Amino acid sequence: MNRWLKYLPSGLLLFWLLAVLIGRMLDIAGIGLQGNAIDLGAILATPSSYHWFGADDLGRDILARTLRGVEISFVVAVIVTLVTMSVGVLVGLLAGFYGGKIDRLLMQITDIFLAFPGILLAIAFAAVLGPGMVNLMIALSITGWVSYARLTRGQTLALRNRQHVIAAESLGASVPRLLIKHILPLLGSILIVEATYSLASIMIAEASLSFLGLGIQAPNASWGAMLRDGVRYMLVAPHYVLIVGLSLMSLILAINLLGDQLRDKLDVNSSINQH
Amino acid sequence: MFRRTAGFFTVIFGVLLLTFLLIHLVPGDPVEVMLGESASTADREQLRTDLGLNQPLVQQFGHYLGKLAHGDLGQSIHTKTPIIELIKTRYPATVKLAVLSLIIGLAIGIPLGIYAALKANHWQDFLVTIVSVRFSAMPAFWLGPMLMLVFAVWLGWLPVSGMESHASIILPALTLGFGLSAILTRMTRTSMLEVLNEDFIRTARAKGLSENIVIFRHALRAALLPIITVVGLQMGSLLAGTVITETIFSWDGIGRLLVESIEKRDYPVTQACVLVVALSYVVVNFLTDLLYSKLDPRVRFGA
Repeated sequence: MNRWLKYLPSGLLLFWLLAVLIGRMLDIAGIGLQGNAIDLGAILATPSSYHWFGADDLGRDILARTLRGVEISFVVAVIVTLVTMSVGVLVGLLAGFYGGKIDRLLMQITDIFLAFPGILLAIAFAAVLGPGMVNLMIALSITGWVSYARLTRGQTLALRNRQHVIAAESLGASVPRLLIKHILPLLGSILIVEATYSLASIMIAEASLSFLGLGIQAPNASWGAMLRDGVRYMLVAPHYVLIVGLSLMSLILAINLLGDQLRDKLDVNSSINQH
Repeated sequence: MFRRTAGFFTVIFGVLLLTFLLIHLVPGDPVEVMLGESASTADREQLRTDLGLNQPLVQQFGHYLGKLAHGDLGQSIHTKTPIIELIKTRYPATVKLAVLSLIIGLAIGIPLGIYAALKANHWQDFLVTIVSVRFSAMPAFWLGPMLMLVFAVWLGWLPVSGMESHASIILPALTLGFGLSAILTRMTRTSMLEVLNEDFIRTARAKGLSENIVIFRHALRAALLPIITVVGLQMGSLLAGTVITETIFSWDGIGRLLVESIEKRDYPVTQACVLVVALSYVVVNFLTDLLYSKLDPRVRFGA
């Protein structure tokens, strides 16, 4: 890849994070445009020097709302990734290390979760739990730990019989010590790559659920809800859906490309994620 | 073979159990959530009895399974229509959409993947890979509106949404098909690259066979095997992806039924839709597994 091109993903990501930070600081300082401020004179306004990205159906600034959307999406993605990774890794380590009945039971459970395609199960959970950010995170966490469990289990199974693990075991190391000191560190790079991809896929899932009205609730900004409104006003204000769509795409693309780079750099090739 | 089949039924049982439990995850009293606070006590008791919510959990599950065995999915709380009738009218539309998307995905993905593999590490390959990365990063709720904007609003070639004309299926099918083609392109490329390095390809070329025969008869046939698995797996994501795509384009399939039922808090319908989609996925995957083992003599069961 080109010398400069390889910095594009991380640069783009950094750009978004900085934009969110600056937007937030301006918000706190009371300068600039508030995301929830309604301006009935600017309903569906096209981009201008005042509203850089235009305004939505309530005259709210799209740029400010996009930045809020990125922020919320990012927070949700990071929290859900941390939760699902912790649970998934723990389950995977235990299943892979002990094998036998425990392994079979745990894998049977993951099989059942995997029998629900894509975000269907998250939709189902979000539907019965009711909308809202916390319920959204619960729904995404309940369904998200499975891929980590499968990944960790497979790796642990292979590492279990490595000589350094057997040596440590015969020296009397306890099981937690074996898992944490001798197996987990070797999973580091593969988990980092997996977590990067899952950030993107959770952001997509969050937006999908919010698009269906199951996620973040008004007046809070969310990309999914903004896209849905954008579709509604597509005939009169195509800039709305276009701008939100392109912003979302650039961020997701940046994260996924970063994942690819990390994968190449850390030399991980058995990631189960096919993004 | 036995182990596969046993695993298949365990998963189906698990899916049934999990979908059954869904309604019990409703915070508070599900009956109150479904009927609203203004419902009369008599109505509530009636619904509670209808849903069997006042029985012990195990008994409820048994009852649920028993009804399912007779093709009874319960009835909609709002319209009182038997849910099986709703599913029967909506399911074909979803299958139609999914099959057309699959055809689009294959028609784009496989040729592009072969092309990328043949031009490996040239700019053409780079371009195809970037585009396919880009497409797989674009979820349906992004791609759908974009396609709608370009082809229905700006160009005016296709209907915006609905099911009135035959052309209505094109945009939703493209939305799902493009996403699928991205994954298929990458899989085909990887798989072809692997096969092209094998000894039998070198032999075929050394025999003086034409490049077309080497690629299409020798290499592609071997490369297609892993692609079949991906197609099977993706068929499931297609079914789930229809939830959003159908909502965007007002396509009256099972995905839209699911969303409508959630909006109306008609949980028995929600439950049934989730069950039907999940079961379709499990069955498609199982069939793919069987097909794969039929086609690839190296795969032996239980191994």
